[in-house]
Amino acid sequence: MKQHTTRMTLTIDNKTVTADTGASILDVARQNGIDIPTLCWHEQLSPHGGCRMCIVEVEGLSHFPTACTTPAADGMIVRTHTAQIREMRAEILQLFLSEHTASCLVCDEQEECREYMSTVRKAGVTTGCRYCPKDGQCELQAVTESLGVRDIIYPIYYRGIPVETEDPFYDRDYNLCILCGRCVRMCQEVRLADVLAYKHRGRDAIIGPAFARTHLEAGCEFCGACVSVCPTGTLREKARAWEGAPDREEITTCTFCGVGCQVRLLVKEDRIIGSLPADDPTVNQGQLCVKGRFCNTELVNGHQRIRHPYRRENDIAWDVSWDAAFELIAEKLRSSAPERTGMLVSSNLTNEDLYVAQKFMRVVMKTHHIDSTARLFYGSGFSAYLTLMDRAVPLSAIRDASAVLMVGLDTRFSRSVVGVAIRTAMKRGIRMFTLHSREHTFSLNADVWLQPEVGEEYRYVEALARLAAGEDVTDRSIPADIRVHLADVARALSESDSPVILVGAEFLQYDSSRAFLAAVAQLADHVGAGVLTLPAQNNLYGSLLSGSFPELLPGMRPTADAARLQKLESLWGTSLTGLTDAWNADHLLRDDCAMQFLYAVGALPPVHRGAATFTVFQNMYPPEPYCSADLVLPTAAATETDGSFVNGERRVQRVRRAVAPPGIALPDWDILCRLARHMGAEGFAFTRPEEIREEMAQVIPGFGEAEIDARGILPLAFDAVMHVSGNGTAQRPPDSDHPLILHSSVVEHTHRGFPLAAWVEGSRILFPEGVLDISAEDARALGLRDGDSVHVSGASFEEIYPVRIVRQQPRGALHASILESALTHPNPQPVSVRKADV
Amino acid sequence: MKNFKQREIEAVREWKALHSGSTPVIYIGAATCGIAAGALDVSERVRAILEKHDIEAHLVHVGCIGPCYLEPLMDIAMPGAPRISYANMTPDLAERIIENQFLRGDPSLDFAIAQFSTNGHDGTARLPDFFDLPMLKSQVRLVLRNCGFIDPENIDHYLANDGYRGIQHAFELGPQAVIDVVRDAGVRGRGGAGFPTHKKWQFCRNAPGEVKYVICNCSEGDPGAFMNRSLIESDPHCVLEGLLIAGYAIGATEGKVYINADYRLAIARLESGIAQMKELGLLGENILGSDFSFDISVKEGAGAFVCGEETALIASVEGRRGMPRSRPPFPAVSGLHAKPTIINNVETLGTLPNILRNGADWYRQFGVKNNHGTKTFSLTGKVRRPGLIEVPLGIPLREIIYGIGGGPWKAFKAVQTGGPSGGCLSEEYLDIPVEYEAMAGAGSIMGSGGMIVLDEDTCIVDLALYFLRFTQAESCGKCAPCRVGTWHMVTLLENMTRGQSKPEDITRLQVLGETVKRASLCGLGQTAPNPTLTTLRHFRAEYLEHAREGYCSAAVCKELVTYHIDPQRCNGCQLCRDVCPTNAITGVRSEVHTIDLERCIKCRACYEVCRYHPQAGNAVVYESARRVMA
Repeated sequence: MKQHTTRMTLTIDNKTVTADTGASILDVARQNGIDIPTLCWHEQLSPHGGCRMCIVEVEGLSHFPTACTTPAADGMIVRTHTAQIREMRAEILQLFLSEHTASCLVCDEQEECREYMSTVRKAGVTTGCRYCPKDGQCELQAVTESLGVRDIIYPIYYRGIPVETEDPFYDRDYNLCILCGRCVRMCQEVRLADVLAYKHRGRDAIIGPAFARTHLEAGCEFCGACVSVCPTGTLREKARAWEGAPDREEITTCTFCGVGCQVRLLVKEDRIIGSLPADDPTVNQGQLCVKGRFCNTELVNGHQRIRHPYRRENDIAWDVSWDAAFELIAEKLRSSAPERTGMLVSSNLTNEDLYVAQKFMRVVMKTHHIDSTARLFYGSGFSAYLTLMDRAVPLSAIRDASAVLMVGLDTRFSRSVVGVAIRTAMKRGIRMFTLHSREHTFSLNADVWLQPEVGEEYRYVEALARLAAGEDVTDRSIPADIRVHLADVARALSESDSPVILVGAEFLQYDSSRAFLAAVAQLADHVGAGVLTLPAQNNLYGSLLSGSFPELLPGMRPTADAARLQKLESLWGTSLTGLTDAWNADHLLRDDCAMQFLYAVGALPPVHRGAATFTVFQNMYPPEPYCSADLVLPTAAATETDGSFVNGERRVQRVRRAVAPPGIALPDWDILCRLARHMGAEGFAFTRPEEIREEMAQVIPGFGEAEIDARGILPLAFDAVMHVSGNGTAQRPPDSDHPLILHSSVVEHTHRGFPLAAWVEGSRILFPEGVLDISAEDARALGLRDGDSVHVSGASFEEIYPVRIVRQQPRGALHASILESALTHPNPQPVSVRKADV
Repeated sequence: MKNFKQREIEAVREWKALHSGSTPVIYIGAATCGIAAGALDVSERVRAILEKHDIEAHLVHVGCIGPCYLEPLMDIAMPGAPRISYANMTPDLAERIIENQFLRGDPSLDFAIAQFSTNGHDGTARLPDFFDLPMLKSQVRLVLRNCGFIDPENIDHYLANDGYRGIQHAFELGPQAVIDVVRDAGVRGRGGAGFPTHKKWQFCRNAPGEVKYVICNCSEGDPGAFMNRSLIESDPHCVLEGLLIAGYAIGATEGKVYINADYRLAIARLESGIAQMKELGLLGENILGSDFSFDISVKEGAGAFVCGEETALIASVEGRRGMPRSRPPFPAVSGLHAKPTIINNVETLGTLPNILRNGADWYRQFGVKNNHGTKTFSLTGKVRRPGLIEVPLGIPLREIIYGIGGGPWKAFKAVQTGGPSGGCLSEEYLDIPVEYEAMAGAGSIMGSGGMIVLDEDTCIVDLALYFLRFTQAESCGKCAPCRVGTWHMVTLLENMTRGQSKPEDITRLQVLGETVKRASLCGLGQTAPNPTLTTLRHFRAEYLEHAREGYCSAAVCKELVTYHIDPQRCNGCQLCRDVCPTNAITGVRSEVHTIDLERCIKCRACYEVCRYHPQAGNAVVYESARRVMA
């Protein structure tokens, strides 16, 4: 056997170079500054050898190997730019261009066009031909230029494929496709989603989902990874298509869920034009989900964003200045009793916003009445969820796990980077189980898919916990064959070295959520599993840490913690004794809730009930009409402020200001500080978020600047008791009057109280709000078609919904995705459905 | 092992009983070729006749013996008489022959074409020996030795003919010695490229890894090629034994037969063969008491041409799209499921039992230096005696076409070998020996065994276009030279056949062809221009006639042909006028008709009716006229 050396020496273009063994000719050439043109090669993907641009001559080989696929070898003599090679490259490139409709790549007017932006039109315009959204960023264009191809000797073949625009977020114009296969490899190798494939042969060869399915049907996650690697204008982001190249980039943290992906915001002329995954090694590893990739841009650029504070009275609205707004608030606050004053925040705000908000309530308003809308999301399981969340293992645990159990988690449109991590681990051969009542991303490729009846999920987890503890399961409501599967899963988890349980948002709004979460905790204890909850609210942990709950002080200490109170008193220079803590967000659901003053910071107060005498609504977008907001204040989006979040792993992550807020909008912390100062309060002289963090660091470990940059995991434990509302009743089985089961869940895809569907066009298709999902069988039985309206009535509930027929929905169950699950208690509940009269 | 020896002895006894017993045997060639010609109808009738007259006889369905033009073949072997072969059977004729033979003792020698002297009986002087027939005289049948003689679904027939002796001998030798025997025999891949088989094996044997695979490549995609199908249908066990030998030599754990899903009969025979092997302990753990464990399964492919390429084939077996990848790594190092894998052609594997049984020296006596052994061909096209043939390497091309095939009916124009990857050779190359190097030197390739004879009625440009359209449509789309380059070549050729091209298009075609050949990723693209490039080399004049003069000498290119009515012959029958779909033909009854060239769409309907209808005068002529250069 030949001895393998770690270094090898070869000659490329008469230059002697050394390289590590295993490197391809292309790698070695590029390391040594020798440029070889490529089109199908991409650093994230396996070499493909399809575009033939990187062909080289190797002494001793009769054919022309591609540099990207050929391993360099010791003593190899490579020539990359001989006359013959250059000629062949030009010839091959012409073949590409002959079926690429943007032939103006070789247009005679090209140079003048670039310089003077002249256009061949009758009128004197100076825009230039914008023939392709990728103009100026196109790799085919760059290669054409570098090879000096100025003419195509072949006839142009127009494929005439209709441009595919029906899917959300990105369009596909396969007339521009050069079949480099980057998108296919990205989808198959990196995302492991296997949605895209090569289809057909010869002249009809094209990319797309196999078997003529649509992207939606084929399970596309709309992660946009394919769009990012497309070298031509074939795959184009709807929102960014014609924006051109960005001026600069800013790395920040995505705000849509507890994973905390690092994103690269593309900025052009002080506007965000796109968001791409940052190559972050700890969290998202260069991947994003549809929300981080596409929703960011649209959400922050919406033309309905509030630009000025405005006052509303009797359905008349008028702009006011900040000072006038502060004066109005101060006046209303002075006349409100602390026990009838409250502040509702969302857990999408930054730590700094939340800290200032709770400080404002405690120092200025002398009350603990600050609460997060998260409480409404988790219902009876709130406290159990926080306890579970507190034992979070890092995301890397998935990659190291030997078995994974997913409960109520669908990674298709949210947390999809977790889905990628699981698929990567599955490729390595781990056992993978999923428990979900609906068909979802992993239902077909998991080792076992436990599919309980809707509302029975907690029984399955309880059974798993008992089995894992070595007890028998005699629950007759679980069929015997399922019990066998449950035993399998329990055994596999018990026998696994490092199992991980991933908790999704699916069952959390059910009345049984407390039992469900308790069972998850038991199961995790019995099998020694790490738990990862990854909450839907991206900064839920931050809102615990900052103390934005009536039960919690900064640093996650209970309100009754005298030592902490004392410490805060000295830090804030004020007395904190005798503050009321009798209110929380659940009260807003009660009809007898009589608030004098409600301040909603980045949150949407619950529907219809509990209208306060005076409501301040501070958000990015105008309030829904039912909010009866009296004063509306514009705030900066997360891309317009500096700050920090804490993700579901308890990792503190930076948020960076990429652009200025619209109009005279300000960051939430700034508004609250100015208001406090306006009201003459001390301790609100913050002018930068760093100053807030400095103060936080005194009561919250891990908040020092250096510690944040280290991006470690916070060493904290949650041991407070949270009040929970337990208004659920047991589910009744369907009867003849109410033959179907309605299960509803709060829209998981929300930001600052609003469903993304409200402000992001494409998300209305992928995750709509306020629609009823029904199985095809039930729809047929009821004579319903997609988009019909139905009248749903249950014991305590009546509503009209548009229906959406989805394959994933199990028969006999209806799923409503609505802003508030509180509307449909009990949840799930038997209902009857009839087609609504038009 | 003991049971197996017993079974071998019984198989021989049974075989002897069949051939020298007191019961007559009727053989019917029922491979796909025979079935297509009507063999099953014949068989059905024979069975009915035997039943009707209560005649005791064995009816054996055998495989394909080769001469397609004689199908369906029925042979009768009466006790104590040689086996007599009757060709071009129909049920009625078969009935007559059987009744004559069995009821009247008349062997109907007028219908017989040959006799087999193989079972030691003296025949009649009136009939030639089957293997002395002109089509078979120059053939050497090694791989095809059992074809047409044994019942392919009966493993005992194979065993009685020294079946599975090769693998037993291999076990005695040991794996490395098997590779050495194959090296000494000088076996080269019969898939077409002629790579020394032992080298591939040695790479794979030396590659580290516990799990290795052998794949039998029966992705027979060349238009007009059927050697592999016929071999598997007629003698599946020789291929399966070859797989065992290859697997043993390289240390493989599993063998797969990758076969086109439309080869239903071949697949059925493979599967029944595999079942019989398992029953006899020829598959599974510790085969025949050795330490070799092996399993074989059949993988059906959808028939994409590119799946004949090794890496695409592997992708297809893995369940992915049949798409080739760049090498290295070579499959022998990292193939199926990234394990060392050998892919051998059906014929290569089918040869192995012979070599292992008889030794390298025996094999080397066939063929010439560096080109040992035999090669099967599907001899088709404009030839008198088409069929499946096996010849020793080094035989002159002329001997195959004229000696075996009987030559074309009309004037010879070219012979096409290697299908869409191969080339065309003109008359001046007929005396080259059929060897890998000589064929390549002449501009064609040996190929996997397709051999199409063309006569003067074939237009070379049209032929090149036909093959190029085929490869164009079969291009997987991965690399641009193949996907787009072949398409532009098709366009250039199409323009030529329509008289719409410029003389410089020939140069462009040539340059583009060279680019596609050199720059394509896999064998499909690298060889796709071959039919065009070789014909450009040997038949340039015909291209020039098309490009410069708009003239197609074979009068095949529709756009370059015009239809006329010869006034001397036209009898005014009006048949042509009636069939013309565009009413381009006018003329009153009994007077000379004329064709309006403006309206004529060259559908050929008038020609066909005038040529073949008894009332018509064979007056419609079509011809291509030379365009006068401006």
